[in-house]
Amino acid sequence: MNVKELMNTKVESTTPGATIKEAARQMHDIHVGCLTVMDGNKLVGILTDRDICCKVTATGREAGWTKVDEVMSKQVITCFDDQSIEDAANIMMQQHIRRLAVVDHANNIAGFLSVDDVAHASHELASGVLQSTTTYQ
Amino acid sequence: MKVKEIMSTHVISLSPTDSLRQAARKMSEHNIGSMPVVENGKLLGIITDRDISVFAIAMGYGPQSTEVQKIMTTEVITCFNDQELGDAAQIMQQQHIRRLAVLDHDNHLEGFLSVDDIALASHDLAGAVLEAATPSH
Repeated sequence: MNVKELMNTKVESTTPGATIKEAARQMHDIHVGCLTVMDGNKLVGILTDRDICCKVTATGREAGWTKVDEVMSKQVITCFDDQSIEDAANIMMQQHIRRLAVVDHANNIAGFLSVDDVAHASHELASGVLQSTTTYQ
Repeated sequence: MKVKEIMSTHVISLSPTDSLRQAARKMSEHNIGSMPVVENGKLLGIITDRDISVFAIAMGYGPQSTEVQKIMTTEVITCFNDQELGDAAQIMQQQHIRRLAVLDHDNHLEGFLSVDDIALASHDLAGAVLEAATPSH
């Protein structure tokens, strides 16, 4: 099975110069936890609700003055939309992450693939991803 | 297998009067995404990284001046520590969640059971929980 068949194609974006306050409102209004950061047509980063928690709320930065590009992750781990689910799960396991940005061969963002999506294809692969990303105390 | 055999008992909690900023610091330090709010051993609510970042910013609740009890979720989905793992997984599937607060029969918080814990015991149960958490796109 291909990534394309299971990925979430709902991709919402913000810009590097938007404020965290604007991005948080957007995430809240459209019920997403993750925004792509686009500079024109170019994907320059990913912003998650977790980033806002750890890098803004926890640190005392002011959400209305902090820009998205000060907080976003610039290293975005991707896979191609025509790769197999198994390949994508292996990338997640190697990188210890639970979500990948999916791009087409023209490098346009096509969607996201999460460990939940992987579970629809294989419980074994999805559990493998969980175990590779968990720190047990 | 019983819930108590694989649940996490290392519970890091907040008190109801902690500020959102204190909660964010703790979540960031301990690399966790949700925390119980506890008073005298009793579970009052749950608060997540998304609540204290996206929700709080969108609603205009200041991180320093807002107490966690103001925005925590008070309807917490729980199971008992002597329940079967399969029963707990079924609760997660029905509620579309990935973590349960685990109580003893005096209603004291004993720990948490996450889908990650379940994956250690059964890939199939964990996969079913993930599938239920996110419908196919």
